[in-house]
Amino acid sequence: MQDILKAKHWIIISLLPALLLYTFIVIVPIFWSSYYGFFKWSGMNEPSFIGWANYLEVVNDPIFWRALKNNMIIVVASVFGQVPIALLLALMLRQTTLFQRFVRSAVFLPTVISTVVVGLIWGYIYNPEFGIVNALLEMIGLESWTRAWLSDPDVNMYAVSIPIIWNYIGPYLIIFIAAIQNIPTEIEDAAKMDGANGFRKLFYITLPMMWTTIKVAVVLCISGSLKAFDQVFVMTGGGPAQSTELLATYMYNNTFMTYRYGYGSAVSTMIIIVSLILILISQILMKRKEEKGMGI
Amino acid sequence: MRNNNLFLFLMVLISIWLTACNSDQAENTASTEESAEATVTIWHNFAGDDLRARTVRDLIDQFDEENPNISVESEAIPVDGYRQRISTVAAAQELPDVFFTYAGSFTDQFYDGGLIQPITPLMEEHSDWADSFLPTGLEAYEYGDNGDIYSAPVGMSSTSYLFYNKQLFEANGVEVPETWDQFLDVIHTFNDQDITPIAIGNQAPWVAQSTTFGAIADRVTGTEWFMKAVEQDGASFTDPVFIEALGYFKQLVDADAYQEGANSIDNTQAEQYFAQGKAAMMINGSWTVSSLAASASEDVIENIGVTVVPSIEDGEGRANTITGGPGGGFVLNSEAEGNVKEAGLELIYALSNEEAQKAIAESDSMVMYDVDIDRENVSPLYYEAFNLVRSVEFAPVYDLYLSAAAGEAINNGLQEIMLGGELETVAEKVQQAQVQSLEEE
Repeated sequence: MQDILKAKHWIIISLLPALLLYTFIVIVPIFWSSYYGFFKWSGMNEPSFIGWANYLEVVNDPIFWRALKNNMIIVVASVFGQVPIALLLALMLRQTTLFQRFVRSAVFLPTVISTVVVGLIWGYIYNPEFGIVNALLEMIGLESWTRAWLSDPDVNMYAVSIPIIWNYIGPYLIIFIAAIQNIPTEIEDAAKMDGANGFRKLFYITLPMMWTTIKVAVVLCISGSLKAFDQVFVMTGGGPAQSTELLATYMYNNTFMTYRYGYGSAVSTMIIIVSLILILISQILMKRKEEKGMGI
Repeated sequence: MRNNNLFLFLMVLISIWLTACNSDQAENTASTEESAEATVTIWHNFAGDDLRARTVRDLIDQFDEENPNISVESEAIPVDGYRQRISTVAAAQELPDVFFTYAGSFTDQFYDGGLIQPITPLMEEHSDWADSFLPTGLEAYEYGDNGDIYSAPVGMSSTSYLFYNKQLFEANGVEVPETWDQFLDVIHTFNDQDITPIAIGNQAPWVAQSTTFGAIADRVTGTEWFMKAVEQDGASFTDPVFIEALGYFKQLVDADAYQEGANSIDNTQAEQYFAQGKAAMMINGSWTVSSLAASASEDVIENIGVTVVPSIEDGEGRANTITGGPGGGFVLNSEAEGNVKEAGLELIYALSNEEAQKAIAESDSMVMYDVDIDRENVSPLYYEAFNLVRSVEFAPVYDLYLSAAAGEAINNGLQEIMLGGELETVAEKVQQAQVQSLEEE
């Protein structure tokens, strides 16, 4: 009994620094910023209290809803791009031959590169004058498909999603490979003896055993995509004419470009609320799947 | 996963330790401060490797060396993030003693917030110097009922030169356009020859506004109307005359004057595009003169001519103007007192006195000061532009006078027009943003 108490003390003491730090640099500022959201404040003058006006303006601003829609495009692209591709690669790359290790590193590489560099690289790839995308299309005779990928509002949201997918497949790949390697060999052997092979084994053994990991990956993916900022900011800055505005770039532009700190704070509070709602929805959806026998 | 937690824990420990170290250091510098008479912190955006940035940094270093009793702590912040950094530290009440600011609404904010103090003592002490600024040079930094001066410009912003490629004009038998109709004809001719008429890099959306639209709009509406609209005093951005001005910009877009994807390449790429002879013209600011002087070969530079944006006959405004005015200058934090204030004023003077202005001018960039430059010391393109700008009048740069929010609105609005948006909607948004910011003051 005493050992357990002692251990508990130790756990609390060891967690304390991280918890304190987290409280002061994450949790407290969240409440602080939602409080600033009630003020008219340019950052330089004295803040003046204006009640719910900022929050109402956020909700009534069509650009906020466009930013939310664009963010949802990124969320969908990430959840249905990053996770399945990473899963597929993980299933193919579970051995450790030299070739597979090479492919793994290659897929992981973009994660290590600074996101600003990723934005710059893809900015050049999409460049209307000398970009490789248009050059390739011309080479194979599809001149009619060439376009200014980042400034044409019909396609630019999809164009900026691709680098984000490419950027973050790596971490999910690692998580999935670890999950596959954690499946006990006994179970695999038993399945083999029962005659489960190929797709059967995949759907009845491998995927169900990985389901919790996949769930975590999806949550990480959603929250990560809601924070999306850097690549898009570098590639388009939210433009042209705010057509690739994301929640984070919208917040940034309002706070730091037009000096409306109060309004920017209100926007960031709204981002947190939206994120919580989305995570909640995804949790409910996946829980239901689980109750239905893993849903596969 | 367990490893991960351990890693996090270590990171936390390391960061705590690092912050502890930092505060130690801060105390150390604080104790050495007492031996020197004053320490002045200065923030500026001359962080690049261009001639002007190096010149200004050298001036700061020189001041530091020549004044053993003053120690200067200088921080150079890249231009792109400068406004944001400064406004963030302003919000946190941590502004440096001396910092670089832009003329217009950016400085207005510091004045309104009581964050800066006048440098009038310098003006009184060096009256010759104060008299040598070009007209409107110091007025831009004049605030309050006493007419106190808060800064002295160390540069000139002149944002709308029409650069043209002499060879391309000759080869296609066209003259440099002086009127709007000629301008459209020239654009048409180059389009027929599959040459991009005008290069623009409007990814950062201030470019079209600052370089092109401001000049067009001033020719159409006249300066007086614009100043009234800024104050919302008898003029509004929804007035037909402003829609007309937007319409002239739309004419350029409709005439396919700009290269494809103009909104996804940046200003530097557009400059390169023009320098490579892929476009016949480019409307751009004095910074282009500096960057071409630094990066392009002599042949290329000799092939570039510079003039003003064509006149618009039906417009209310003057022809032969260039949008521009006083550039940025250094201001003094209102909290600087005693020795720090003295040292700060000295530093501001050292960075904007005659020698400094000459040094900056000879780094191929424009100044707002009556200074003679040696032709040999500068690039021929700069010399041409320097003489041009001194022979014309200034028109207001839109985003220097509009509120930050209205500036964003016109910037985004011009991109919208380039994508086929409605002129009235754009005008509406600019008007709304300007009204709202006036209310917030």
